[in-house]
Amino acid sequence: MASKVSQGNTFNLSLDTWAVILALLLALLVRADVFRKIPW
Amino acid sequence: MATAIAVSRVESEKTPLNVLTLIPGILLLAVVGYAGKLLEKFLNTYAKVHHWTFPNIEYVLWAILIGLLISNLLTVPKIFQPGIATYEFWLKVGIVLLGSRFVLADMLKLGGISLALVIVEILLSLLLMHALGRAFHLTPKLTSLLAVGSSICGVSAIIAAQGAIDADEEDSTFAISAILALGALALFTFPLIGHSLHLGDTTFGLWAGLGVDNTAEATATGALYSDAAGKVAVLAKTARNAMIGFVVLGYAIYWAKRGQAGAVGNKAAFLWKKFPKFVLGFLAISLLVSFHTFTKDQVTSLGNLSRWAFLLTFAGVGLRTNIRQLSRQGLRPFVVGALGEVLIAALTFGLVLGANRIWGL
Repeated sequence: MASKVSQGNTFNLSLDTWAVILALLLALLVRADVFRKIPW
Repeated sequence: MATAIAVSRVESEKTPLNVLTLIPGILLLAVVGYAGKLLEKFLNTYAKVHHWTFPNIEYVLWAILIGLLISNLLTVPKIFQPGIATYEFWLKVGIVLLGSRFVLADMLKLGGISLALVIVEILLSLLLMHALGRAFHLTPKLTSLLAVGSSICGVSAIIAAQGAIDADEEDSTFAISAILALGALALFTFPLIGHSLHLGDTTFGLWAGLGVDNTAEATATGALYSDAAGKVAVLAKTARNAMIGFVVLGYAIYWAKRGQAGAVGNKAAFLWKKFPKFVLGFLAISLLVSFHTFTKDQVTSLGNLSRWAFLLTFAGVGLRTNIRQLSRQGLRPFVVGALGEVLIAALTFGLVLGANRIWGL
């Protein structure tokens, strides 16, 4: 998957870019209190 | 291991990405990682109840060990493989979210020190690996790949360089196997050395970030030592990863001038293409936290999300390491890699101790 994504896909985004998008989306959901408290 | 990885990488590029095929492997990563976390908790509680003196072994080690046992004692069905390969993706998600645990002042201080050490480390590592490659009569392109892999960031750097310098698939496989095998060894030896020398968290974290090649192993090595060391290891490794474009560009130009690789067109576009974008995400989250975009509880939640992403990564590190396949790789590149790694580990250790003296880490 790693290389598949990094080599290009439907949206032609790299693995890194997808990781950044997902992480920022998660941060946005935390900021909007959709995820109130993530336990560890 | 690396052969399998290299082959699966090439094969995977030809087939379209189907998200559904990733689910079984991701679930396996979650089960193995969570089992490691439960085992840590269980052993600590058991030792406390029975008044045992038992060292606190982090979930990181248990997740890697369970993964190693599964991948080496059992045959992991093919259905799990695509999902297991996503451990690299979770690593990058975890690194971006870890940016929440660095405020701008930390980032500028530690990041600046890391960057200065990284530049020295890269220059010395490149010189060292080329000298060793020549001494052991490795092909020049294999030497270039080993040098890129050991000076910057392991597998990603080798794959980036392979295309840029038109290296053989076989050379790339050798270089990847050597770097991964040595990364697996570093995972266990670095923390032992660190504990025996009573290194501080920041010193150890910097050493792991500078001395261990592959990002997943560098992160795991730091986290095995302590949570704080893991944080610093990721920062140092991220600074190292940020240099990937410059070094690969240098090699691409060198081989193109010798007529053994395609010419590099637009250098800025080349640098941007090779630049690891997760570094920008890491900086962005750190900036947002520094400007109080998140409440204290939200910052804790982001840090915990990062830990969950790393949990999947560490399970993947164990699950994709196959000791039998490793031992089948050629000996000479491994010896060159091993010699280089030991020397680089010693060199980076000296650098970190020097930095500790100058900046009082």
